[in-house]
Amino acid sequence: MATAFFSPTFTLRNSTSIPQSRRRSCLVRSSQASVAVETPSSSTTDLLLQVKDLSAVIAESKQPILKGVNLTVRHGEVHAVMGKNGSGKSTFAKVLAGHPDYEVTGGSVLYKGLDLLEMEPEERATAGLFMSFQSPVEIPGVSNIDFLNMAYNARRRKLGLPELGPIEFYGYVAPKLELVNMKIDFLNRNVNEGFSGGEKKRNEILQLAVLGAEFSILDEIDSGLDVDALQDVAKAVNGILTSKNSVLMITHYLRLLEFIKPTYIHVMENGRIVKTGDITIAKVLEKEGYKAIS
Amino acid sequence: MSISALNSYLPKPCAPSRPCARPPRATPTKLFSQPPTLASLSDPHVLRLAETLEDSIASSSCPPPLQKLRDISSQSLLTTPWPSRKDEPFRFTDTSFIRNSEVHPVTLAPTQNLDALSGLADSISPNIAIIDGYLVESLSNLSELPDGVFVGRLSDLNSKGLMDKVSKYVSNFQGDLFWSLNGVGAPDVVLVYVPEGCKVEKPLHLRFVSMNRSYKGSKSLPISNPRVLVLVEKGGDIGIVEEYVGGDGDDRCYWTNSVMEVVLSDGAKVSHSYIQTQSLGAAHVKWTSVCQGSKSVYELTEVSTGGKLSRHNVHVKQEGPDTVTELSSFHLSIGDQLQDLHSKLVLDHPRGFSRQLHKVIVAHSLGQAVFDGNVQVNREAQQTDAGQLSRSLLLEPRATVNVKPNLQIIADDVKCSHGAAISDLEEDQLFYFQARGIDKSSARKALIFSFAAEVIEQFPDATLQKKVGNVIRTLLTPALPSR
Ligand SMILES: Nc1ncnc2c1ncn2[C@@H]1O[C@H](COP(=O)(O)OP(=O)(O)OP(=O)(O)O)[C@@H](O)[C@H]1O
Ligand SMILES: [Mg+2]
Repeated sequence: MATAFFSPTFTLRNSTSIPQSRRRSCLVRSSQASVAVETPSSSTTDLLLQVKDLSAVIAESKQPILKGVNLTVRHGEVHAVMGKNGSGKSTFAKVLAGHPDYEVTGGSVLYKGLDLLEMEPEERATAGLFMSFQSPVEIPGVSNIDFLNMAYNARRRKLGLPELGPIEFYGYVAPKLELVNMKIDFLNRNVNEGFSGGEKKRNEILQLAVLGAEFSILDEIDSGLDVDALQDVAKAVNGILTSKNSVLMITHYLRLLEFIKPTYIHVMENGRIVKTGDITIAKVLEKEGYKAIS
Repeated sequence: MSISALNSYLPKPCAPSRPCARPPRATPTKLFSQPPTLASLSDPHVLRLAETLEDSIASSSCPPPLQKLRDISSQSLLTTPWPSRKDEPFRFTDTSFIRNSEVHPVTLAPTQNLDALSGLADSISPNIAIIDGYLVESLSNLSELPDGVFVGRLSDLNSKGLMDKVSKYVSNFQGDLFWSLNGVGAPDVVLVYVPEGCKVEKPLHLRFVSMNRSYKGSKSLPISNPRVLVLVEKGGDIGIVEEYVGGDGDDRCYWTNSVMEVVLSDGAKVSHSYIQTQSLGAAHVKWTSVCQGSKSVYELTEVSTGGKLSRHNVHVKQEGPDTVTELSSFHLSIGDQLQDLHSKLVLDHPRGFSRQLHKVIVAHSLGQAVFDGNVQVNREAQQTDAGQLSRSLLLEPRATVNVKPNLQIIADDVKCSHGAAISDLEEDQLFYFQARGIDKSSARKALIFSFAAEVIEQFPDATLQKKVGNVIRTLLTPALPSR
């Protein structure tokens, strides 16, 4: 299977448009998902993210996970992706963020007019793409504040701004903690080490609040949160939403979508977006489950 | 035939009627006049070295425990050969660098210019300076010790009662060749005594400095044999910071052959910080032997980065139930050097709790690390909770590590866990940094440092954490790949 991707046909056919270094499928996929995603009618300058026929495999086993995802996000929009366990939602998020576990085998992703797939993960991040992890990893030995400071300075460098020293940074970060209702001593703890499920999620949102983002992908930011925490998180997310910034939320529950109102809801199944609509989809799912829409 | 039986064939090293005289030298000639079985066990090289050490120490009056130590040590050297790679404890540890050097003992002349050392005076109090194995008062400051605490040379001790106590502890334990060489060559014993119920608020800082150093390639190897005995009575509590530095000069050669014995009575607590940053040309051989009474707590946190050959032997023996033992070590090998930890924890009583964390980074293709961690949970040690974890990080292609965790469990009602992993950095952790905009090389740097930080954070003293953290950061900087 894998060798097929390197077949001479591939090189010949794509030599003008696709760099050889990147492994892409030679198959031209038709975007015939069961429900066509309508292309935006407004001008293309409005586009923030355009995903076309994206397919990806697990790098190690070459097992296909994403099988032709199409998605368009314009500035200021809120999108939600729902779908059964294992349908590929987190994989989609991680592929957009550049996770090395996956290998893109086809399709394209345009972010702010740039070829996202050509960018290193850290370049994607400094270009304003933020993904909150479904299960954030623990990093013993690195304090939360040092980590945030490093990340914030990387962003500042990109913007040509002077970096902040630890003391200045503390002044900047301390008020952000209130936003997500975290105690100040979380700054001195090691990144996610020993955090409860809910604390890890709050910490992701804290990072988002500190770094800011034009496009945030929030992978199940609501799971494991109590009602109060959900409201805190929703408030923080709404706080960063502007007419320019967009959010893509992955969730299983309607309740988050009642706090952060989505423009579109997509349903993912077996590595594809099979349905797109408005909030009613989530309501149907909540009531009747996935069998109602498949 | 047991060693003691063999020894009975030997002349008694010191007749009781000759107090404090030097034990007769065990010269090869003398030995060859002994039965052939004995001769075959003796090593002329060891005997010559022992003789040189004996010659170097002052033969003036010395306290009985020290004399006893010297006697026992010289006796055991008669039958201890130089270790070879065939001996299990030295299977991966090549000591030929010491073996092939011209070892000569350092004698600290009182005229030696100690002014040059005044920069070493430590503002942290209480502290003592041990220069080439000799305690130097002018560089020490013990003003803040509580009443009843004694820190000083055994030969300066006036209390007969305490001297008797010390005698009891001398050489209940038998180490290896290096242990015995120290016993013969130690100019004195530095005693740290904490009386019953006494809590020493500030940690006692012991600074070991190697002043006599030879140049790389000169073959000459000055040896010093510092020896410390820490005696903590019932319910006593003290923090000890044991720090070895080599002065300036990164590749100077010397041999620090040090021993520390720690005796904890019931309910006592010792928090022991051990930092070794000697030069990359040095040999550093260290014994830490610990005896724990019931309900006592012993915590050891070690960071070792120095030495061409660095070997730490830790031996912890449980003398009663309900003990707590926590051992954390971080070793770093950034050059052509070997970092070796041989630890042995023997549990003979119920309800002991022990945790051991060993971490090592080898950041050079000629670098090597060895860990042999033995935990024995014997028949009587029911309801023991013992955990051991070893993690090695190899940053260069030919860097090597030999890890041998071994748990021997005889008791049946116990909770024991162990694990050993040799790994590269975690991909998921690296990605987490990158996903927040931090480039891969900075992420690697932070993660490599954080690997060490887990141990550094165990130092009870925040200033020490910071200081050691900076040392590690500096050492790691050139070794960090520029990927
Ligand atoms: N690194 C990986 N190694 C092996 N299998 C993987 C890997 N990543 C994803 N998968 C598999 O790919 C499929 C999709 O996983 P993904 O995490 O994207 O699902 P999801 O839609 O986010 O599910 P959930 O709702 O449970 O979070 C699953 O079957 C999963 O086991
Ligand atoms: Mg998921």
